[in-house]
Amino acid sequence: MNEHQIQSALAEIADETDVTVKHLELASLCSALFSERGVELVVVGGSAIEFYTEGAYTSGDVDLCVMASCEPLTVRLRQEIMGRLSATGGPRSWEVAGAYIDILGSFENLARTQVRTIAAPFGDVKVSPVEELIVERVLVSKYPQDYPPALDCAKKILAAALEGEVEVDWNEVKRLANENAYANWADVKALTNEQAKTLQVRGPFDSDERAD
Amino acid sequence: MNKPKLSRSGVPSIPMNEPISWEDWLKGRRARRETGNKVAPEIIRRPSSSSDQRLRKLFNGQRGLPFKKTEEL
Repeated sequence: MNEHQIQSALAEIADETDVTVKHLELASLCSALFSERGVELVVVGGSAIEFYTEGAYTSGDVDLCVMASCEPLTVRLRQEIMGRLSATGGPRSWEVAGAYIDILGSFENLARTQVRTIAAPFGDVKVSPVEELIVERVLVSKYPQDYPPALDCAKKILAAALEGEVEVDWNEVKRLANENAYANWADVKALTNEQAKTLQVRGPFDSDERAD
Repeated sequence: MNKPKLSRSGVPSIPMNEPISWEDWLKGRRARRETGNKVAPEIIRRPSSSSDQRLRKLFNGQRGLPFKKTEEL
């Protein structure tokens, strides 16, 4: 992207008052600039959930991780790239166009399904696989203690998945939930079945229920 | 991009193995919000976090911009 294109994108993002669109556009612009330097970013956590669900969850920051990189993503390189966006701060969190961007380090991901891609205005935005977000939020909602905000997130992601608004590999959800890293299959199955009942749709684990 | 799969309510689904276009992602926003509202409160933004200081400074005492109303999506 040339300087004119970057300035034009930044002006558009700064003027945007819809918080979800603003964050997605900002992730799009950052992803494009990092990609030019051989660094692939992925949206994680609450920001990812927001893009999948419109769940009115995020605050004023977008969380990204490094999915792949041709060269080490040094502090110098991060500051150089973010400098092109007239960003302030660093070395892992910057203020840009009226929002915060956090680049948190390497992407931790056990899912075998692909990251999802949103073809946003300034470049593709990669989003953490929904299967792992489901399993992770269910875990955080119960351990180390009950945490209602995570439970609400888990319910909203499951609802979007059950309604077919987000395509999900339910076998992968089950596999991840049975992994030692999560070991929460009973909780995932119970919450999925509960949401399916609320939405009056057939649950993906109905046959498991009969088999148990 | 192939023709998108549709959700139960008829909006484009965010696909597993190919990008969703910007237009299709925008088309599904309202339906996704309405679906979420059936199972959890409309606004689930956390009341506080470790980022509070910087967020409230930038957003006039709030933790972020207000969310767009469902009917405006």
